[in-house]
Amino acid sequence: MTEPFLVAKNIAKRFGALTALSNVDLEIRSGEVLALLGDNGAGKSTFIKILAGAHPPSEGELVIEGKSVAFSSPKDAASSGIATIFQELALSENLSIAENVFLGRELKRSIFGVPFLKRQEMRQRVDGLLKELDAHISDPEAPVGSLSGGQRQAVAICRALNLNAKLVIMDEPTAALAVAETRKVLALTRRLAARGCAVVLISHNISEVFEVADRIVVFRRGRKVAERLAAETNHEEVVSLITGAHPDVRALEKTN
Amino acid sequence: MSAVRQSANGVFSMNGREWSLLVACLLAIVIFSVASPHYATSGNAATVLRNSVELLLTGLGMTLLLAMGGIDVSIGIVMGLAAIAIGRVLGADGNPALALLVGPLVGALLGCVTATVVVLGRVPAIVGTLGLLGVYRTAVFVLLGGQWLSGLPSSLTNVLATTVLGVPVPALVIAIAYLIIWLALRRTPYGLHLLAIGNSEEKARLSGIPVIKTRFMTFLISGFLTGIAATFYVATYRNVEMTIGSTLALDAIAAVILGGTSILGGKCSLIGTVLGVLLLRILQNGLLLIGVPSLWQPVVTGVLIIGVLGFEAVSNRLPLGLIQRARA
Ligand SMILES: Nc1ncnc2c1ncn2[C@@H]1O[C@H](COP(=O)(O)OP(=O)(O)OP(=O)(O)O)[C@@H](O)[C@H]1O
Ligand SMILES: [Mg+2]
Repeated sequence: MTEPFLVAKNIAKRFGALTALSNVDLEIRSGEVLALLGDNGAGKSTFIKILAGAHPPSEGELVIEGKSVAFSSPKDAASSGIATIFQELALSENLSIAENVFLGRELKRSIFGVPFLKRQEMRQRVDGLLKELDAHISDPEAPVGSLSGGQRQAVAICRALNLNAKLVIMDEPTAALAVAETRKVLALTRRLAARGCAVVLISHNISEVFEVADRIVVFRRGRKVAERLAAETNHEEVVSLITGAHPDVRALEKTN
Repeated sequence: MSAVRQSANGVFSMNGREWSLLVACLLAIVIFSVASPHYATSGNAATVLRNSVELLLTGLGMTLLLAMGGIDVSIGIVMGLAAIAIGRVLGADGNPALALLVGPLVGALLGCVTATVVVLGRVPAIVGTLGLLGVYRTAVFVLLGGQWLSGLPSSLTNVLATTVLGVPVPALVIAIAYLIIWLALRRTPYGLHLLAIGNSEEKARLSGIPVIKTRFMTFLISGFLTGIAATFYVATYRNVEMTIGSTLALDAIAAVILGGTSILGGKCSLIGTVLGVLLLRILQNGLLLIGVPSLWQPVVTGVLIIGVLGFEAVSNRLPLGLIQRARA
């Protein structure tokens, strides 16, 4: 087997007295869709925020393509090829779609050392991306605040695609979507993986997860309690892993 | 939100809010002309424009600060400190070249101090700049020793009260400042970053924007502009009194929100700020000429701020149908 794109070793995260994550070991492989499951508050978003450079871990190490990395900002993670669609989307409602897609990594030309925006080029790239996503947005100049939940999701996905990332992380990308849009996002995750991209998908919808995931990891109370190949498990087992009714999880939680 | 889009089109393009400000300015001029025989004179017009110079410069800086979700209530006293520095340099040898440099320099330095407290020290801007205001007020008192700095040499005045190709130097400097800030705001990544931070600092951070650098820069720019304002102040009045700049922050904040910049950040209008400054100064001057004591000027400004913010709060809370009906 090839070397994983990213290895998380013994990751822990504390917010003051609250331990949101402890002892998480995880491997993320290129060309694979990895689903992260777990109850509300299990630590899924916290974990991916560490991968995205938004939180520094309290303990542990991230290794990307064999090299240890320490992200001090989301920009660092982006330059390592990690694109993240956060649960809260992190879009600027007052800016346009194109401005949001390129925010923080604008296309610019230097005139007398001053970086000027290449608005035209950014517009064209975004039009192309929106077409590729088959997203129906009538006015790309409209502020993102005036878009529907699904349209905003499309903008956030454009942002991630625009990075040409090696790892795309999506935190509950389908939570706000209607049936047709959900299908599009799920098809997209498969397409990204087929392209050789690593994909991490967080979702509470287990049937959705079985449709697209190669591997399933379950978090519970800040710890990774199970990892299964999607082909070797089933809906019921995953539910019992999430709720803690599964004997493996009980055994694990008894020993600690 | 529409202001963001519409103002992005051109350097001086205006939206509905901005046109109404222009109409309000003209209306005020007509009313004051009728009410006072001394009003509609070229001398008085020059006075109003002259009185707007410092407020225009600091107002542009305040526009950037508010758009970013920041604020600075200490700009008046910062202008005072810069003015004292300029006065000392002038008093020493009257060298105008050095005097021209020292204002922007002190302003930028004090902008760095503010940024250190507010941005690096993470003290909320309103509290941090209020604290600095207290400290600087005593500093001004100590530096002036309870007396005015007066009778300064006219060397600075000779440079700044001239015209270049028929354009007064203050107007030229303001136009250049306006153009540079407009370009930075609408044509460079800095402007996008500023507006994104004003919308939500956390989202801006998650988007990979250099939040700390952008915020620091903006306080520095505002300080620099305040230093230029101090230079014009000293050149015009040739003295520095204890109460220098005491209403500058209030006036600047009023003019900027009058112009359509959101007090909550994320949205701004530079042309709106210019019109807001003019309206404020026209009202203050006109009321004085029709016999309202100058003591009442801050009252007018305060009522304007409360009126604008109150109106915006109410109109945002009204059901959409009601607003549309009111507009129709
Ligand atoms: N910035 C923060 N400061 C303090 N506590 C936090 C912070 N972020 C998350 N937490 C806490 O960490 C724990 C894990 O939260 P997290 O958001 O990772 O859960 P989640 O698995 O994503 O849940 P959900 O399915 O509801 O999105 C929670 O108890 C949460 O309150
Ligand atoms: Mg979450």
